Amino acid sequence: MKKIDKSEYEKRLNKITEIFEDLVTHADEQATYRCPYKNRFDHCTAQFGCRNQRKIDEGTGLLCVGDDKLDYRDAWETDASDDTGLLDIKTNGTITCDGKTYQLSPGKTVFDYADDLAVQVPTSCIRTGQCHECIVEIKQGMEHLRPPNDAESFLRDNYRLACQSVVLDIDTHIEFTPLRRSPRILTQIGTVGEKTDTSQSLNPLVTQKDGIVYYDSEPVDRFRGHIYGLALDIGTTTVVANLVDLENGETVSVSSFENPQRFGGSDIMHRISYDGEFEGELRKSLIAALNSQIMEMCETHDFVRQEIYEIVVAGNTTMRDIFFRQDVQSIGQKPYKSVIEHEYLEGMRSTTSLTEKARRIGIRSNPKALVYSLPLIASHVGADVAADLVSIDMQSQEDIVMLVDVGTNTEVVVGNSERMVSASCPAGPAFEGGGIEYGMPAYPGAIESVIWNDGKLEYETIDGKEPQGLCGSGLISLLAEMLRNDQMSPKGVFANRKQRILELFPEHGITFSRDDASNLAQAKAANYCGQYIVLRHFECSPQDISKLYLAGGFANYVNIRDAIDIGFLAPVPEERIVKIGNAAVGGAKEVLLSREKRIEIENFVKKIEHIELETTSDFFDVFVEGCQFKPMPTDIA
Amino acid sequence: MASINDIANEFIREEIEEYLERPDEIERFIEMFSQASSAMQDISAALIDGDHHTVDELTEEALGNGTEALEIMDDGLIIGMGIVGIKFRENFIFVPEVLACARAMKAGMAHIEPILSDSGIEPVGTVIMGTVKGDLHDIGKNLCIMMLRGAGFVVHDLGVDTSEDEFIEAVEEYEAPILGMSALLTTTMPNMGKTIDAFIDEDLREEVKIMVGGAPVTQTFADDMGADGYGKDALECVSLAKQFLEEPDEEW
Repeated sequence: MKKIDKSEYEKRLNKITEIFEDLVTHADEQATYRCPYKNRFDHCTAQFGCRNQRKIDEGTGLLCVGDDKLDYRDAWETDASDDTGLLDIKTNGTITCDGKTYQLSPGKTVFDYADDLAVQVPTSCIRTGQCHECIVEIKQGMEHLRPPNDAESFLRDNYRLACQSVVLDIDTHIEFTPLRRSPRILTQIGTVGEKTDTSQSLNPLVTQKDGIVYYDSEPVDRFRGHIYGLALDIGTTTVVANLVDLENGETVSVSSFENPQRFGGSDIMHRISYDGEFEGELRKSLIAALNSQIMEMCETHDFVRQEIYEIVVAGNTTMRDIFFRQDVQSIGQKPYKSVIEHEYLEGMRSTTSLTEKARRIGIRSNPKALVYSLPLIASHVGADVAADLVSIDMQSQEDIVMLVDVGTNTEVVVGNSERMVSASCPAGPAFEGGGIEYGMPAYPGAIESVIWNDGKLEYETIDGKEPQGLCGSGLISLLAEMLRNDQMSPKGVFANRKQRILELFPEHGITFSRDDASNLAQAKAANYCGQYIVLRHFECSPQDISKLYLAGGFANYVNIRDAIDIGFLAPVPEERIVKIGNAAVGGAKEVLLSREKRIEIENFVKKIEHIELETTSDFFDVFVEGCQFKPMPTDIA
Repeated sequence: MASINDIANEFIREEIEEYLERPDEIERFIEMFSQASSAMQDISAALIDGDHHTVDELTEEALGNGTEALEIMDDGLIIGMGIVGIKFRENFIFVPEVLACARAMKAGMAHIEPILSDSGIEPVGTVIMGTVKGDLHDIGKNLCIMMLRGAGFVVHDLGVDTSEDEFIEAVEEYEAPILGMSALLTTTMPNMGKTIDAFIDEDLREEVKIMVGGAPVTQTFADDMGADGYGKDALECVSLAKQFLEEPDEEW
């Protein structure tokens, strides 16, 4: 027998190791969404009992009926043959989420109940407290849970890891909600199937020819049937993701979900300080939510995530930079500029746009996919406003127009293609329900408008559901109606001057207090200041504006008259006000479909002047004026 | 340039046509297979099919006919495993199928091992592997074993539900310097610590380096129970085992 040369043998071992490394890496990845014991025929190969096993025929083994959607590993711990027993203990306690209720039983975690209630909670660590993805908000019954442990030390208030929260008292009531919820109202914006009318501008970076997919001119994959891109707007409160077919410009899917980072605070400044203390936690939670969203899209629209080749991101400066793993601390301190903007100003980079591999950010898409973000304008005025400007085609505007993008931070731009002034106003989350006793985001059951009729308030809710609270448009409608009917003064004092709390809808227990009014007044004042100071700086009055583009998810549902009457919006003649919905995601989509637009906007934003509201000498006076519920003067200049 | 019809084995031709999609890969595998003898193609086909009995028989036969061991590795085993890797990458097959193929490869390598020792090539090291008592989960452990064998280790697999005594006996019997334990349940994880304690009781703790892994296991947990190392995945398992051998006296 011929002897084997050692170095030749080692070469073979290296080759084998190389193949095996790829196998193991893929196995790890696959295990996050498919049970590894399930073979190609969906038969179970496990030697242990699992509740997803079903007998098919004698001798042919077991079929796996798990859908892998909820954490399959949990099923392993239950012996399939032992379905009764402990769980049968009867109690009076219940647990609720999303209006669904389940009975409490001993020793279970909130995550176990989420399974029982078929509520999806993300995880990637088999519920051991390591991945930090299963954060839930405990709305009721916090004191009946096992106290937070070390794994939860990064969470505050009523936020817990579902996998670590064992329900101790089973004769009580617990209510929780996962962080990733979809506000219905937003998904109505932007229509599926809508094509970009500018067919001549369809020039995406990703294309296919003869069965090969190219990024620019570099081959990246074989053609699998679709070339998709993702347009993403990361808001402080809401994330909107549109799936776009890059071959024809069609929007395949429109979806939105609540930004799960709210455990780190509801406004930008809190998020920044949170990110400084617990670096990476915010980013991780968002990526997990986004990946779930991608998987849902894949399922609904029957494609594989590898068919997503490019992602374009809009979002305010802080949200964008947290997403891109940048240090955001400098955005929280004077002069409120991001690291990227500082680098740009110092000449270290030619644009504030960013490009990164999706893989490095952690997005589950094609392994070669890239993530591009639009440039920043300045300070807090971020890539979302750049995307808005693409969307309203600011470059071709000759007359003076105004853009107001309403959100947790409201951004204002006034100008035309020649000269533009921008500012950002930290409005806070009051109009999205934050800090208002019966405020809520725009979910079904939110009151979206009210009318004062015959000494009595009448309301309409989203989807006609039982009212649970008021969303932004409902709050604005309420303030305006109370003003018009002398139920409240411009300073937020109720008709009965001594009354501090109004029973709005006693049959539903919904109230409105002076503290609520005061919180709304301050949020409104921030919006007011931004618009007023930018207009004044531009030396122009509301009536000089040829068009006011009103952007932002909830702004789309606001009654314009109401908004002007309480001074939330500049008194531009109503017929010139155009609601453009989530324009940022629209702009991101246009950039996804056109390589020219990318270059154009990168250059265009360099012309925009930025003012810092707080440094305006009479800022405080304007703010105090803005705190009153009354229209802004029509003549400013 | 070779064409698909230059490959004698029909199974292989079908595999290439059905599962390979990238033009460069198709070309590369047609080239490689068309240069392999039909006996080697048969070994590959059996390996891709996960049929370890056939790989075992055919490898023995080929060596008996005077085929060189390196040729069997190149043209029979590694090339077949390459196809398996692509099918897995593209989600045509899944972990259970991959492990069957790895077992088939091991069946072939078993016949090559005696030639290695005749040639003076010693195994990198010997490792005992098993899932702890009460735990029947084996996939993570099996992937580790596959990686270790691929890297040239001799691995004795004690399977699942392994008692403390079984671990101790195996370490003594094979004089293995390394023991790897896996646990997949939070409820069985403490049995790792108990096994380590049993080694201490038997006065054998100094004889063996112990590494642990499995989804609920963390570095902290590994440290607390007195393991020498913790690997979060199969790749780390191999590098740990290699480290143990390089610096046997180092504290881990």
